[in-house]
Order: sequence, then C-alpha cells, then structure tokens
Amino acid sequence: MELDYDFMVTDFPTVLAGLPKTLILTFWSTLFALLIALIFGCVILSNAPAFKQLVVALNTFIKGVPLAVQLLFCYYAVPFVAKWLGSIGIYDFNPRHIPYFPAAVVAIACNFGAYITDVVVSSVKAVDRGQIESAQSVGMTGLQTALHVIVPQAVVISLPSMTNYFIWLLKGTSLASLINVTEMLITAQISAADGYQYLEAYIDAALIYWVVCAAIEFGSERLFKRVGFFLKPARA
Amino acid sequence: MPSDLLTGVLPRILQYLPATLLYWIVPSVLALFLGTLLCVVRVGRHNILYWLCTVFISFFRGTPGIVQIYLVFFGLPKVFYLFGLDIDDWDPGVFFIIATALNLSCFICETLRGGYLGVDRGQIETGLSIGYNRVQNFIHVIAPQTLKVAVLNLKNLEIDVLKDTSVAYTIGAVEILGSAKAIISAQYGTGQLWILGLVAIIYFVLCSLIEVGFTLASHRMERYERRYA
Repeated sequence: MELDYDFMVTDFPTVLAGLPKTLILTFWSTLFALLIALIFGCVILSNAPAFKQLVVALNTFIKGVPLAVQLLFCYYAVPFVAKWLGSIGIYDFNPRHIPYFPAAVVAIACNFGAYITDVVVSSVKAVDRGQIESAQSVGMTGLQTALHVIVPQAVVISLPSMTNYFIWLLKGTSLASLINVTEMLITAQISAADGYQYLEAYIDAALIYWVVCAAIEFGSERLFKRVGFFLKPARA
Repeated sequence: MPSDLLTGVLPRILQYLPATLLYWIVPSVLALFLGTLLCVVRVGRHNILYWLCTVFISFFRGTPGIVQIYLVFFGLPKVFYLFGLDIDDWDPGVFFIIATALNLSCFICETLRGGYLGVDRGQIETGLSIGYNRVQNFIHVIAPQTLKVAVLNLKNLEIDVLKDTSVAYTIGAVEILGSAKAIISAQYGTGQLWILGLVAIIYFVLCSLIEVGFTLASHRMERYERRYA
C-alpha cells in the first residue's frame, strides 16, 4: 500500500504529544461525570418523590441524544454563558479566547454522568441485603452502614462497568475535535494537513488509542481480581 | 428563537431523516451477519483465525469510532488502488456505512458471545440427542436462547449506532446533524441553540422508538418463561 512510512514514524511523537491533552480532558470529564452520577444516583436511591422522576427523565433524555449534538450545543452556548458570567463579574470574557475546553468537559460529563448514574444505582442495589442487615444488627447508624458497608462493596462491584464507561469516555473525547478543542485527534489532523498525509497520522492516533485502552482494560482486570475476592463465592 | 423554527427549519432537517435511517439500518444488518460470523469463530477452537479475530475485535473496540471512520475514509481508496480500482468518487456515506458496520460487528460479536456462553450446555446436548443436526440445533435451540440473553445489550448497541450516525457529517455524509449544521452556518449563527435543541428532540424520539421496539421483542422472546413464572 502507498503509505508514507517515514512520515508515520516521524509524526508519531507529534501525535503522542497530544495524548496528555486527551488525558486531561478525560480526567476532568470523568471527575464531573462521577460527581453528577453520585448526586443523581443518591437522588434515585433516596426515592424522593418528584426529584426522582425528574432525574430519571433527565437521564433518559440525555441518553437519547448523541454526544456530538451535546458538544455542538455546548459549543454554541459558550459565548452566551461566558458573556453572562462576565456581566456578573465572575469571569473576564475575552472574545478572542473563547473557552471551548470547559464546554467540552460539560458536554462529556453530562453525557457520561447519565450513564454512570445507572452503574451507581445498580451497584448499590447489588450489595447483599444480608450485609446491610448485619450492619444494622450490630448497631451501626444509617450513615455508618453506608460508609463502612455499602460504599466499599459497591465500589468494587461497579469496577468492571466503570472501566467500560471510562474507556468509552476516553474514546468519546475524540469527538471534542468537532468543536476545536485541542486533543490527540486534532493534533494528528493538524500535523497531517501540510502534506495531506491524513491516513498515516490517523493510523498513529489509532495505535495510541488502542494501546491506552488495552492498558486500562488490562489494569482494571488485574485490580478487580485483587479487590473482588469477596465476590467469588457468590458467583461460583 | 428563529420565527420559522417549526415551519421552515424542521422540514429541511427532516428531509435528511431517511439518510440517518439508512446510515443506521444498513450497518445494523451488515453487522448482524458479520458479527455472527465473528462470534462463531470466537467461541470455537483457539486456532490462527481465532487470534486474528481477537486482534481485529480488540482494535475496533479500543479505538474511537470517529478515528475508524477517518481510517476507512482515507484508507479504503488506497487499498482499492492496489487492485487498480478508483473509488475516490464514491459517496462518503458508503465509507461511513463500511466503518460503522465493521465497528458494530465487533460489539455485536462480543454481545452474542456473552449470550451464547450463557446458554445451558444441557440444552445443546439435548437438542443433539433428539436427533437435530448441527444446523437445526443452531436454529431451534441455540439462536433463540442466545438472542434472548443478548437482546438488551443489542438494544443499547442499536441506540448507540443511531446516535453515532451524527458524526457522519465529518466526512461529508449529510444526515440530520449535518443538515442542521448547514442551516446554522447559512443563518450566520442566529438561533443555533434552538436548532440543536430541535435536533436533540428528533434523536430522542428515534431512540425512544428503538427502545419500545426492542422491549416488545424481548417480551416476545421471553413468552415461554412468563407462562410458568
């Protein structure tokens, strides 16, 4: 095949330099997605009337809308929000440097927050009833039960699906290239624009994504084998 | 809010609804075949074909869909060029469909594999013991039970595929989001948020329809169990 192998090799470090930006975007998005998921999950688990239905409806809607649409929506909403924040004096709005990075974080976090909410709810529900009853029978309060019994087990139970969504989120950050947020894919695009060697640059990017995702999956499996020991008797 | 949002913009966006549905249905059908074939290999013996399929699946599950679309869009013409064929003037939609079909087949393969591993070994042996040959056993025993286990994951995959059609415009295959972007640029950026909100609602309605369809299908597949429950 007519590939410019020299360019592929020399371009590899350039594309790799975009990886930290992708990882930073992933980090902030994951952080806020987890926050949203925890709040939403608590509301759903608390069975608070009206709030629960509201959160479920919101979740359903977010899950029915493509991430690309949400990203574009946030992209076009940025000037309005920035101007508003500027008018109340929180943020110094400069039209020459429109902050698109936070827009991408908001869009990705909302999207994946909705998915991770389901993981939170189902993992808490998957904790053995007997565990909670034992905790109550030794005199733990509700908060103690939650902190010492439910949360540690729910975190371990949720680990495989959390990893799935984390990898999915990492792949989803590539869509931020649609709204001009500098991450790995757009780095590859820019580096290839000079000689129209797009295929070579995209192969580099694909290889890096593949290695990173495979590494995360491998690490998570090892971790789950170590911390998930208490789930094994129940599964056998 | 643009004054012609419902009278002018909505019909223009809905013109491209068939394109979105095409980019959803064609990859789904192709991927169901390809995914089943991959699955047959993946549950079989660990020979060279098994490892090739494993690497193939790992690649498509480990890279973003948009990168795969670009790879097919820029790479496939070069591959065809090796055989002396010029496909540069193919519609971008074709490249999108090929990329999505490859991507989806890997996910469908893993879903079906999970369903197959969930089928009771005794069922398969019983089927063989009453004289089914392997094809009959597959059609009457294995396939219905595999699908029953896998149907919920298939639903999620189909919804994802519908949503992922929204990135087709990046390679020039115009569908709902692409037409909305064209309208936004033509109007010099007035009322973009309203137009995108409209697009979001269209996608939400489509996803809800898929959800309802699959729920009905899953009820039908579980009809034998509910009778005795």
